[in-house]
Amino acid sequence: MYTELNSILNVTPDSFTQGEFILVSDRQSDASFLIHHFLSFYLRARCKVCFLGLVQSFSHYSAVSQRLGVSLTQAKEKGQLIFFEGLKESLSILIPQETNPESQAMDFLRDPSVGLRSLYEFVRSSLSSSGGEEKGADRAEEWGPPVLLVDDLSVLLSLGVSVGAVLDFSHYCQATVCSKLQGNMVMLVRCNGLEEEDDGDDESSDRLLKGLTHQCSLSLHVQGLPTGYCRDIHGQVEVCWRRRQGDGTHMQKKLFQFKVHDKGASFFARGTSNAVL
Amino acid sequence: MLPELLQGSDAGGFLIIQDSAGCSGRHLLKSFINAALNREEAVHVLGFEISEEELKEELKGSLTQRLHFHDAFTDPLGWTDHPAFTVHQFGLEELTRLVKHTSHAKPAILVIDSLSWILRHVSPPVVCRTLQQLKKGGAVRAIIGLLHADMHQRGAVGSVCHLATSVITVAPRMTGDEALAKITKRSKSGKVVQDEEIFSIKEDLTVIVMSKPSHTGLKLTDPENQETDPTANLTFNLHLSDTEREAKDKLALPFVFSKEKKTALLHSGPGSGRILYEPDVNDDYDQEDPDDDLDV
Amino acid sequence: ISSMATPGNSADKPLAERSPFTTTSFQKKTRSKLISIPGTRPSVQNGQLLVSTGVTSLDYLLGGGLAVGTVLLIEEDQYDSYSHMIVKYFLAEGVVCQHELFMAAAQDDPDDILQELPHPILDDVVIHNPVEQPTLSCKCQDSLDSMKIAWRYQNLPKVQSTLASSSRFGHYYDVSKTMEPDIRQAAKCHRFFLPEHLTQSSPAQCLMLGSYSALLKSLQEVIHREGFDLANAMSKSRNILRIGLHSLGSALWGDDLSFHVNPRHRHALTTFLYGLRALLRSSLSVAVVTISSHLIQDRALMGSITRLCDNAIALESFKGSERETNPLCKDYHGLLHVHQVPHLNCLASYLPDHKDLAFKLKRKQFSIERLHLPPDLSETVSRVSRGELAGAATVASPCGSGTFGNKHLDF
Repeated sequence: MYTELNSILNVTPDSFTQGEFILVSDRQSDASFLIHHFLSFYLRARCKVCFLGLVQSFSHYSAVSQRLGVSLTQAKEKGQLIFFEGLKESLSILIPQETNPESQAMDFLRDPSVGLRSLYEFVRSSLSSSGGEEKGADRAEEWGPPVLLVDDLSVLLSLGVSVGAVLDFSHYCQATVCSKLQGNMVMLVRCNGLEEEDDGDDESSDRLLKGLTHQCSLSLHVQGLPTGYCRDIHGQVEVCWRRRQGDGTHMQKKLFQFKVHDKGASFFARGTSNAVL
Repeated sequence: MLPELLQGSDAGGFLIIQDSAGCSGRHLLKSFINAALNREEAVHVLGFEISEEELKEELKGSLTQRLHFHDAFTDPLGWTDHPAFTVHQFGLEELTRLVKHTSHAKPAILVIDSLSWILRHVSPPVVCRTLQQLKKGGAVRAIIGLLHADMHQRGAVGSVCHLATSVITVAPRMTGDEALAKITKRSKSGKVVQDEEIFSIKEDLTVIVMSKPSHTGLKLTDPENQETDPTANLTFNLHLSDTEREAKDKLALPFVFSKEKKTALLHSGPGSGRILYEPDVNDDYDQEDPDDDLDV
Repeated sequence: ISSMATPGNSADKPLAERSPFTTTSFQKKTRSKLISIPGTRPSVQNGQLLVSTGVTSLDYLLGGGLAVGTVLLIEEDQYDSYSHMIVKYFLAEGVVCQHELFMAAAQDDPDDILQELPHPILDDVVIHNPVEQPTLSCKCQDSLDSMKIAWRYQNLPKVQSTLASSSRFGHYYDVSKTMEPDIRQAAKCHRFFLPEHLTQSSPAQCLMLGSYSALLKSLQEVIHREGFDLANAMSKSRNILRIGLHSLGSALWGDDLSFHVNPRHRHALTTFLYGLRALLRSSLSVAVVTISSHLIQDRALMGSITRLCDNAIALESFKGSERETNPLCKDYHGLLHVHQVPHLNCLASYLPDHKDLAFKLKRKQFSIERLHLPPDLSETVSRVSRGELAGAATVASPCGSGTFGNKHLDF
């Protein structure tokens, strides 16, 4: 959790807007440090979190979260965190074994044209069944609003899923998590290459980004510096609120530069990096 | 022009609000819903991208008893057991049934949020046909649709917009609460009116037209995208003033043979000798073809 | 003119200070106790277990070495000569460290590749060089070479007496000679030659993977059988599996990425890389994958491929390009672009100091250096070559973690 980002977004773990769909995207840069922020943020906010980790192993997320002061293993044991490890689940489908895999969430790997309905079913069942199943136990702890985090959606395109299917998946997740359960949702999309101006012949990850931008309520777009590589400033992030804010504005954009540290990240206005001043 | 459109269109009208990822047109769409409700018209909203709660939250101030929401948001593809409305039900009969179901004295206005969702799942020819049938069918007085133009092939956007009587394209402006609307309106007589207006939407969803953008030079572009002028802010001068240019033009360059110079060289003055020379065959010597045997 | 040479000189000092070798004494005790596999060491950055690529300058560039469980993607140079050499270095280092090898190819028989491994220099003649020559007299490039391996660590006593089992991290090789067969045969090698697997297609293979299905299955079998997976109890003595995969995505692998802008099997390779990552993350293995990216028609696909690997570098050889005739490039054989640095188990990844890098193949050794101009001695050419330098630098600079375009003109 990066406190500077919290103050930019005007949230704290104790008070944040519910029902938000936050889209995190990057181009020629790496925005995955923001996913770690949101994971630790919502765990601290005592939300029930479902994390779809499609690109890294659990130990990676766990090691980074440890540095941010949150233990994923504990959260998992307490039932606060439901962690889906895509890499692990995929192997049994990519290399068919005698025993059938118990989880169907990655069924799209067998035939990408079937879409992501089974993955959605996994999300729905893990977030809406909160409390219901564990009645027998000592009702453990009550968790706050449900949160879905996905890292990242664009890898699904690499695995052969169509843009439309990913958009359908995110729509259903939004309808269930944000609208019905009044929880939040954070999704990462990584784009290839340079932005091309001629539309109509868009690259698939760009089409996905555009579609999700129309759906989301807040977007954070990470880019490299337009002037080139720099060791002290790792890039810039554009924050864009797309829903009506308290002061009545419809769409507000702010641009910050950032640097990722070992145990966090700092955000600053353009041109005010420590390396410059 | 925007207030005129908000005031209510003639029967059989089909209005499209086109937006892109950079600027959402949904706020304007809500203003249209609000305006229609205030005129005491019945409004049917086919909501794919907005939930009933969110829409009603925004329309709190207005008379919502004439607003009928058809929920295509929670389950548009029928993934759960009892979908309210799926995208595949998008057809003349089904929509007529929905609209007729809650009958009012006047034909209602159908609002579709958004056409993009339908276009992603139904083939464009079918969408176009259904829209045309609805427009002519008489069950609805007018159709208002939101379209995310940057999500589709240019052809699909063009075909759908071709059916519309009015198209409003919203584009972002410098400040967050202002937007630019490019309006194209076709009247029945075939007259086409085009206009550009800057507008902002107040909290009670009324639209305020700020001004018309002047085309002379105030057309604001994003400072990010402005071309950087490499000759600006130089420590030396790259520009010439008029007098400097004049002086520069006057200057005779050393190896340019002006007429005066030529005559001065060739006719070195009266009384001196002159060279008379008549070119002959040897002057026609071609270096590339010294033997003069190639067919050049 | 003299300012042209200074960047190289001034870079020497921070280079030595930042060299990971000088700080290994700060490593966590628990980590070093956990891992006692020859030829590995924990990273200074994040305690990740590292192995050497065999090219010490490449190790330095990647932040100390390749983390176990990751994939290094090498975009081949046009004639696959230098990328092939790095793969051989990588395998040779495995032989010397007594790691197990897995080599897969569709073009050449893996056995042939294994026969051409470079000759290791085990009785290091190199060690004493920096001592004999006072560093002051060293030319800029020589001192760079000696900095890449801190010489005092080379003098550490070897644990075992056998030649081929040095516990040191990273060795030197002589590419002019090939490795002796007896050293080579001491290493345990697994091979995968695609033509041998084309006939036997199992019915239960994943359709998505296409021809990579057999390779992934074979990899999993080796990892499972030889006890490399982490899930297994510590039954066998721990070792590292080095995986080399040559020219994936080429026509010989049955891929049509080179023929169409919208290939039919466009997801086979990315799906395979996803499966490969899944396998590696749960095992003590490390992979080097080469891809002839210049043949792939769909440019956007390279971005997806890069993101499914951890490290990504690209080699751009001067052979056959107009840069060969450029006076600026006469000292090097090509440019090296770092497209991606790994983000594994850490937030802040290791970032190289600079991104203008070039490689050269000396008589016996392949090395990567910082690209800089030779001193500009003649008055007449100076203006021309400076202009060209500016052009070359802009091409060389774009890099994975966030640069694009040169928007402003800086005077």
